[in-house]
Amino acid sequence: MHDGSVVQVKSRPVIDRLGIAMRASHVLVVLFVIGGIVFAAIGTAMGDTFFLRLATEALIFAGLALSVDILLGYTGLLSLGQALYFGLGAYVSAVVLKQIPSFWAAMAAVLLVSLVVGFAAGLIANRVRGVYFALVTFGLAQVVAKAIYNTRALGASDGLIGVPIVPVDFGVVTVMSNAPAGFFLVTLGVIVILYAISGYLLDTPFGRVLIALRANERRVPFLGYSTRNARLAAYVIAAVVAALSGALYPMLRGFVSPELLFFSTSGNAVITVVIGGVGTLAGALYGGVILTVLKSVVGSMTENHLIVIGLLFMAVVIFLPKGLMGLARPQIERLLGREAR
Amino acid sequence: MTPVLEVNNLGVAFGGIRAVDGVSFAAEPNAITTIIGPNGAGKSTLFNLISGLIRPNSGRVILGGVDRTGAAPHLMQRAGLGRSFQITNLFFELTVFENLRLAAQRLEPMRRFLLPTGKSDRALAQVGTLIDRFGLHAKIGELAGTLSHGEQRRLEIAVALAAKPSILLLDEPTQGMSHADTADTANLIRDLARNVTILLIEHDIGVVMDISDHIVVMHQGKKLTEGAPSVVRADPAVKSAYFGHA
Repeated sequence: MHDGSVVQVKSRPVIDRLGIAMRASHVLVVLFVIGGIVFAAIGTAMGDTFFLRLATEALIFAGLALSVDILLGYTGLLSLGQALYFGLGAYVSAVVLKQIPSFWAAMAAVLLVSLVVGFAAGLIANRVRGVYFALVTFGLAQVVAKAIYNTRALGASDGLIGVPIVPVDFGVVTVMSNAPAGFFLVTLGVIVILYAISGYLLDTPFGRVLIALRANERRVPFLGYSTRNARLAAYVIAAVVAALSGALYPMLRGFVSPELLFFSTSGNAVITVVIGGVGTLAGALYGGVILTVLKSVVGSMTENHLIVIGLLFMAVVIFLPKGLMGLARPQIERLLGREAR
Repeated sequence: MTPVLEVNNLGVAFGGIRAVDGVSFAAEPNAITTIIGPNGAGKSTLFNLISGLIRPNSGRVILGGVDRTGAAPHLMQRAGLGRSFQITNLFFELTVFENLRLAAQRLEPMRRFLLPTGKSDRALAQVGTLIDRFGLHAKIGELAGTLSHGEQRRLEIAVALAAKPSILLLDEPTQGMSHADTADTANLIRDLARNVTILLIEHDIGVVMDISDHIVVMHQGKKLTEGAPSVVRADPAVKSAYFGHA
């Protein structure tokens, strides 16, 4: 099997650490998918609806976290407004579905709109760096959230309700968006595809330029790359990933609300990535599931579940600076490295 | 022979201080041209003007016969300029291998930009050549941040050289090195000049006299004089400005 983890330099094998790290993430995502399929099978066998739908929601928010990790973990950009694209995807999807109840039409519209909006907002946000970038992304999301909140045509503060149940047509099989296990698997598929595309891109020379930006932005121009263009490309990719994740939300819930664009959504995505492990991609998926389940389970016991999430966040930052993936990924990397030798 | 780099009347001022003031010189192919001058003479600013980090207020930068005045650093790189930094400027959290692979990936055709890095065979071949030449075999899997100072300085040059530039700007490559390392680096630079034009800033006057083909002396932003090492060494104005009161 060809992989990017070992390369021949003067006919001597050299371990490519970044390639191995990415492969270790792939292993963890394969485990994640197996876990998901087993979960769907058990859920179906037991006639469960609640947990399957909760897990589907967790996956949707994991997709948002994935987009945050592309920016934060690979390009070194902290976005505090990624909910802008998540909410944009959800609203565009809801509007399209209310006109044409087609999964593919909604996804295509969201892809197109997020490319355009991501590019335009990226031009604005990438004029500044560091803390200022975080503040501009925060501001952009707040402006759009308020605009939607005050737009009657988009349901204002109530959001858009009455999004129909849509058939997800794969040619051979058709899954209805209200089928708990079926739509869970569709969502799992979409999120894994978004992961796979992100993972692939980050393992190309283009992706390595993004990683170089995080490592030392000042040197990148002297390697022949425009830092502005590279940051913009990362920003647009992250916008599309967040928007396509958000597009699934109204299919699951039948409605969208302005809260999807609020800071709490953006902030939660950052917390998800930190808990899962910054710069791992896989951590966003595991973190998304853990955070959503915790919120739901702890939330059913106490109204003060945010205190628990906050304490967990602090504990991870202090004791597990590499997040949950920091517990498992290094061992997998070592195994992959040894096998490659 | 047409010079690889021509600098014409180049100048920039920061808040009224003329950091570089009307400097002109040319770097001939496969020669080592060295800029010398006391601290604050404007040597690093001159490098920043040539490599596109700072836009000049006046003058021209002509690279490979094309006027590139004011072009951004990444465009200067693509036009064939490589540069190293006085303060080591590497990807410290990446391995030596990845530092070099990143720096060499411009050698690949554009269509490989979105293919897996394992397919970048030209870049990988160049990494092999560089680790041989710079004696970094044992360190290839180490993080750049964990290397010794001397090794980092060598990697700094290797990264600048990786994309096969037509001119290599080296900003005090021997800075902070031991005597032995300085001598090794001087030999290395002499050796590199067989394939690439070199523009050098260097403080070690022994190294300068030893390896330079042409010397440009700067003082307070201006070019004081230029010429072959023997000519510059004998110039009384250089003695008073540069060698000072020694």
